[in-house]
Amino acid sequence: MPAQRVADILAAAGVPSAPSDELLGAVVRLEASRVADALAALLAEGFDFFLDLFGTDTGEAIELTYHVRALAALDDVFLKVVVPYDGEAPSVWRSYPAVLHAEREAAELLGVSFPGHPNPKRLLTTEGCDPFLRKSVAVRSAEEVRLPRE
Amino acid sequence: MTGVQSILPEGTQPTPMLPKGLKRVPSGVDQLATEHLILNVGPQHPSTHGVLHMLVELDGEEVIAAEADIGFLHRGIEKLAESRRYHQMGTILDRADYVSGFHTETAFALATEKLAEIEVPRKASWIRSLVMELNRCASHYVWLGPVGMDAGAMAPFLYLMREREMILDVLEAISGSRMMFNYVRPGGVVRDLPAGIDAPLRAWLAIADKYLGETEDLLGGNEIFRARMKGVGVIAPETALAFGMSGACLRSSGIDFDLRKARPYCAYGEIDFDVPLGTVGDAFDRYKVRVEEIHQSVRIVRQLLDGMPEGEHTSKVAKALRPPAGEVYAAVESPRGELGIHLISDGGPTPYRLRLRSPAYYNLGVADELLAGGLIADMIVSLGSLDIVLGEIDR
Amino acid sequence: MSLFLAILLRFVGLVALLLVNGVVLIYMLRKVLARLHLRIGPNRTGPWGLLQTTADVAKLLTKEDLRATPTDRLLFNTAPYLVFVPAFMAYIPIALSPVLVAAHLDTGPLFVFAVLSMVPLGVVMAGWASNSKWSLIGGMRAAGLQIAYEVPLLLSALGPVMIAGSLDPLRIVAAQSGTWLGFIPRWFVLPQIVAFFIYAIASQAETQQTPFDMSEAESELICGFSNEYGGMRFGFLYLAEFSNMFIASAVGTLLFFGGWQLPWVATPLWLAPIVFIVKVYIGIYFMMWARGSLPRFRMDQLLGFAWKVLIPVSLVWVVLSGVVIRLVSR
Repeated sequence: MPAQRVADILAAAGVPSAPSDELLGAVVRLEASRVADALAALLAEGFDFFLDLFGTDTGEAIELTYHVRALAALDDVFLKVVVPYDGEAPSVWRSYPAVLHAEREAAELLGVSFPGHPNPKRLLTTEGCDPFLRKSVAVRSAEEVRLPRE
Repeated sequence: MTGVQSILPEGTQPTPMLPKGLKRVPSGVDQLATEHLILNVGPQHPSTHGVLHMLVELDGEEVIAAEADIGFLHRGIEKLAESRRYHQMGTILDRADYVSGFHTETAFALATEKLAEIEVPRKASWIRSLVMELNRCASHYVWLGPVGMDAGAMAPFLYLMREREMILDVLEAISGSRMMFNYVRPGGVVRDLPAGIDAPLRAWLAIADKYLGETEDLLGGNEIFRARMKGVGVIAPETALAFGMSGACLRSSGIDFDLRKARPYCAYGEIDFDVPLGTVGDAFDRYKVRVEEIHQSVRIVRQLLDGMPEGEHTSKVAKALRPPAGEVYAAVESPRGELGIHLISDGGPTPYRLRLRSPAYYNLGVADELLAGGLIADMIVSLGSLDIVLGEIDR
Repeated sequence: MSLFLAILLRFVGLVALLLVNGVVLIYMLRKVLARLHLRIGPNRTGPWGLLQTTADVAKLLTKEDLRATPTDRLLFNTAPYLVFVPAFMAYIPIALSPVLVAAHLDTGPLFVFAVLSMVPLGVVMAGWASNSKWSLIGGMRAAGLQIAYEVPLLLSALGPVMIAGSLDPLRIVAAQSGTWLGFIPRWFVLPQIVAFFIYAIASQAETQQTPFDMSEAESELICGFSNEYGGMRFGFLYLAEFSNMFIASAVGTLLFFGGWQLPWVATPLWLAPIVFIVKVYIGIYFMMWARGSLPRFRMDQLLGFAWKVLIPVSLVWVVLSGVVIRLVSR
């Protein structure tokens, strides 16, 4: 499905978006605050399968990518929203319960929050662990962690 | 359920004001006061298939609510991948899904090839399909045995180890390793199939269906096993979709979706095989679907072996691969479901971001929905029937 | 004085039988299960691994006796003996031959079932005193299971007792001598085939083996009621389990398979104990076979099976065989 069609669906639901067809497939960029409405609209249009949510540190902000698919037509759509560091995007679990774990993971590993999540606990790491998927957190060897640098 | 109160700490109900002079609400004597039991299943427990921690709220033996607590095997593979070159990636990706390493490797190779526009020789694609199908069988064996053990049957597990050993020997001859293969690289595979691999493979093909039939008699043919699996852990098609389940879990709910058919990759477009489907979506359907998948994999391996093309096993790829900036998604049908690699490159020698779309991670999301209402014994069987691999869930 | 000596000798004999049986059964279980599972089993300690059990006993005896602080001290320490002592007492009326019996009780099988019905008490006690949720669930399951399966176990023993017209082990065995039609041994397993199957199932449950190993249910409850036990306390629980296997098989041999008698020929007195022991171990082998190849029931299925199938069937069978025995004996 061309990205423009997706943008039309979203526009019909009152969500403005910027479509583009990339190597990845149909990519639609929109405001973070509208992502729940956008996904609800896509679900109603037959995008019944939620594949993934993950965040990327672009160096200036966190870019969240939502990957959904219409199983019957085999159409993949990537929704991209940008949230500032320690910013927030609404939880989309009411449309796609599959996102529950992924939102918890993105929250702790990238330091963003998802208001509306029913169980916003940490998932993979313990309390006090850095949001280490951010580029500012460096990968260190075990020796470096054990022996603080002089 | 009157008189039952949870000892969960989340007391969100505000205490109402009491009339003056009263210490408590005069609600009478609770004649049958019961308490719920919070049970920590795992991370050290024989049946959590790794280091899964299940928090379970019990009323007697009945599960009221369940929560999967994961992360005990979290090694930050996605972060580590950002400091590895493309040809080094197999080493850490093997350790994500340690039961079927070839699938993760291939998903990554497909993504890199798409990004860097690398041609893959036909033979390399066929070898990839061959090793992936062998790996699928090995993975399903190591699912089928433990699910029998979850139900209390010890013997099938050790019977299946015998067949798995034959496959692992073949995979070792091909890749040099039994589990951490690091064999599929962008551009092709590391080396050609060794001479004389035909004999041990055909030896396995000759017995695979027969021996699996024995196991089916021991498990699926056993009245107790059927009583334990049928009607237990039912996942309706809409529930499976809502939780983004894929692979055999999705197909056993009756939804016909297999990436090998839907978006053929490697050699699957040229191979003839069936996709088994379930009807009810209970644990027994998942058992049947996976057993049939092994039979189909045997069929696929036979075809791949008969039609193995001649030619190069890899194309020329620079050691220090620098794909152009861009973003791709490539996925394979792993034994657990759709295993996707989402790769973002900024043109550098290492990926800018690598996201592993782990099928078992999403399949496990259904845990609370699946387990509530069952008994402890059902919980063990239902969880086992999902085929979770904690290495892949925690990454 | 001689009375005291006789009692002492019998006591020592029973202990020896129990311990030797435990050692043999542990080795046998390992080897039989290994054969069923395509494994080899113990083969490092001593020739063919024969000393493996001895090494295990040495390990259990020398282990530190650990008890977690929040456990109930008195009950925790007593429970293993409460499980072990009834199992030991059940040996008393078992007649290995017409003369080789610790005490000749007129109500042999009844006594065995009566003392064995005390075992669940110890199991619940162990489960509760351990102060562990897993142990508690295991103990509760064991109690429910044993109460449910004791009823069909007793009822199934009624058939042979009615034919023999006595509860005395010697008379039950004596009633099984000779042949029908000149070639079929007069073992009660033939006329009481239904009772035998009920007995086999119920005794498998009473000895808590797969498919009825509810209280342990390794894949669910890890080790059930014995979770918190270590060292020789665990050893006692373990030994009681093996001695229960022997008791179940021995009572089955007495009731259904002619006790110490060989079929068709008269059994010399010196051969009788050997015949009996061999029969008992053949019975145990079949119990292990079931243990090695079957999956486990779920608790509710298990109780449903006992109350809804086994008990009605055994009741009907008791009435039916009573009527038939009455008609035949007239």
